[in-house]
Amino acid sequence: MRNGTTLLLLAAIAVAGAAYLTLWDAGPVPAAPALTSVSDAPSAMVIFPVGEKPNPEGVGMKPVVFNHLVHENRVDDCESCHHTGETVACTTCHTVEGRSEGKFVTLDQAMHAPNIAKRVKGNTPQSCVSCHTEQLQRRECAGCHGIVKPTRSEAYCNACHNVAGLTKADMVAGIAGKLPAKRNAQLAADTLKARENPVQLQPTDGPYKVMIDGITDEYKANMFAHRRHVSSLMERLKDNSLASAFHSQPATLCSTCHHNSPLKSAPPKCGSCHSQRINPANPERPQLKAAYHLQCMGCHKGMNVARPLNTSCVTCHKDNEAKPVDGAAAKLGGK
Amino acid sequence: MNRRRFLTILGSAGLASALSTAKTAHAAGGTHTWPYHENSYGVLHDTTRCIGCRRCEAGCNKVNNLPKPDKSFDDLSVLDKNRRMTPTSWTVVNKYELNGKPVFRKLQCFHCNDPACASACFAKCFQKQPDGSVAYDGSQCVGCRYCMVACPFYVPSFEYDDAWDPLVVKCTFCEPRLKEGKLPGCVEACPMDALTFGRRSDLIKVARARIKNNPGKYVDYIYGEWDAGGTAWMVLAPSAPVAASKDSHQATGHEFASLGLDTHLGNRPMGELTGGALGAVPMIVAFWPVLFGGAYAIAKRREAMHKAETETIVKEAKEDMAAAMDAAVRKIAETQGPGMADTARQAMADALKARENTCANCGHHGEDK
Repeated sequence: MRNGTTLLLLAAIAVAGAAYLTLWDAGPVPAAPALTSVSDAPSAMVIFPVGEKPNPEGVGMKPVVFNHLVHENRVDDCESCHHTGETVACTTCHTVEGRSEGKFVTLDQAMHAPNIAKRVKGNTPQSCVSCHTEQLQRRECAGCHGIVKPTRSEAYCNACHNVAGLTKADMVAGIAGKLPAKRNAQLAADTLKARENPVQLQPTDGPYKVMIDGITDEYKANMFAHRRHVSSLMERLKDNSLASAFHSQPATLCSTCHHNSPLKSAPPKCGSCHSQRINPANPERPQLKAAYHLQCMGCHKGMNVARPLNTSCVTCHKDNEAKPVDGAAAKLGGK
Repeated sequence: MNRRRFLTILGSAGLASALSTAKTAHAAGGTHTWPYHENSYGVLHDTTRCIGCRRCEAGCNKVNNLPKPDKSFDDLSVLDKNRRMTPTSWTVVNKYELNGKPVFRKLQCFHCNDPACASACFAKCFQKQPDGSVAYDGSQCVGCRYCMVACPFYVPSFEYDDAWDPLVVKCTFCEPRLKEGKLPGCVEACPMDALTFGRRSDLIKVARARIKNNPGKYVDYIYGEWDAGGTAWMVLAPSAPVAASKDSHQATGHEFASLGLDTHLGNRPMGELTGGALGAVPMIVAFWPVLFGGAYAIAKRREAMHKAETETIVKEAKEDMAAAMDAAVRKIAETQGPGMADTARQAMADALKARENTCANCGHHGEDK
């Protein structure tokens, strides 16, 4: 720094950065282009559990509203889903019971098979679940979804299997494959409208910073930038329609860290389940210290966050100069 | 009792004892020289959680009052080299590479269910305790280091620096701390719960649950559940699928080999391989001195008896001969005078001597005992 070159360089960078930010703000915000359909398919449709057997009571799994418009704009070509090359409805070949045309692959399998073996000849078909699972490899998803695994809960299924204003007559007709196209489109449009703009908790609904001081012996307490973490995640996901469709509850995004507890804006403290010493009744439940580390480092690893290093303790919590003599052993050793 | 009978008795006694040793081993479960303690403790090492921070090494060093290391435990550059346990570091963390990503594994005594070190030790220094630890008591140790050769995990280390009373040193499972109801030093120090302490039977369930709940994350194998007859410390490894190839199914479990764990130990205790032969050692020690000592004594006694007998016969013969000579000489002296008698005595003595000399060469020579 003796000759001031570094200082000059830094100043130049600062000026350039400021200029860039100013220009960015001043520039016109490009409006998201409206999705246009390349096919003559309806923009959304209800997929009924079509079956061969007579079903006068209309008993079956709740139908799914499928937003064709969104999906056709996300995939390379129609054959990604219409794997036979013919753009017909899935239920033409894949019914609840399975048909010879669909090689007896049932509707359930066709929609949910998680790993589909690569076909030697022709297109390898994809199911809803297999394609959506692939999307979880994206960096903004991989952090939480390396920790959170799909569970067969009602809320999880409800994200798709949910139609607003469905009557029994609709269901019976739908299962038989005889629901008029107009009514089908009407149901789909109503459902999508009801799903629009789901209520999400905002970063400001949570605390700005959280003091993590359950254990302070070798290191001082950590001031966790709660709002910064939440807003960073939400910023990355704001244009992700898949995420907004599946993060259906206001606090879904919170549930990676605040897991195994009711989804609400004021979740219980970590320490209410994670004890400071391992509990012999629940040997699988991590101790409090490990619970924090596994969550923080697990998510950072999934999202390829390079810093802080896992082994750099003092980046997150400052060294405690007034260490207790026996350190962790004294505190955790049952004294 | 003649020699043949003595040998027959001794031989059959030896055979019977050898057979009875083999039978005892069989009765104790066919394989195990140590009973399996159902409630014994263990530790599950989840290498997917380990971040290589070396806190376990520091914890071990502290609770066992080991000397301060040359390089501080914060210095992670030591991970660049694969290390082994030493008398002053009872556990070490090593870095391995799996699909280009670093994976860390902690090395320490595995505390086998049926320890190979104990099977090799003729001074009975190693004991598998009911709490799961393999304890070493050096008071009888002779420093042969057979345990170091026997251990399939290269765990015991030797105090080569100590000139007077060098002992074998290895991880104790912090047995004194377990007795106080405390966790082992390394487990307590682990900030990631990469080490889970518990009853061995519970840990196997925990490990299975982790494998099940995280599809694709782990190799579907608990190292140490059966390896080398089962160990108290067990290891989970991250799954690293190899590129699809013809023999990809054969490569399952290659992850453990990449983590420096021997996957060819088999599921039987190491001691089983040598137990039969080594079990015969006390029998050999007890019977061989009697057997060979007895045989030697019999041979010696026979020889002595034979010698005495021969001497008596020779003496008698000599006496007879002398008496006959005397009688003959006396007769000559009476009939032909003392001069002739002297000549005859001389001639007879010479002849006897000449014959004795030739006989000494031929007589006893060919006899075989």
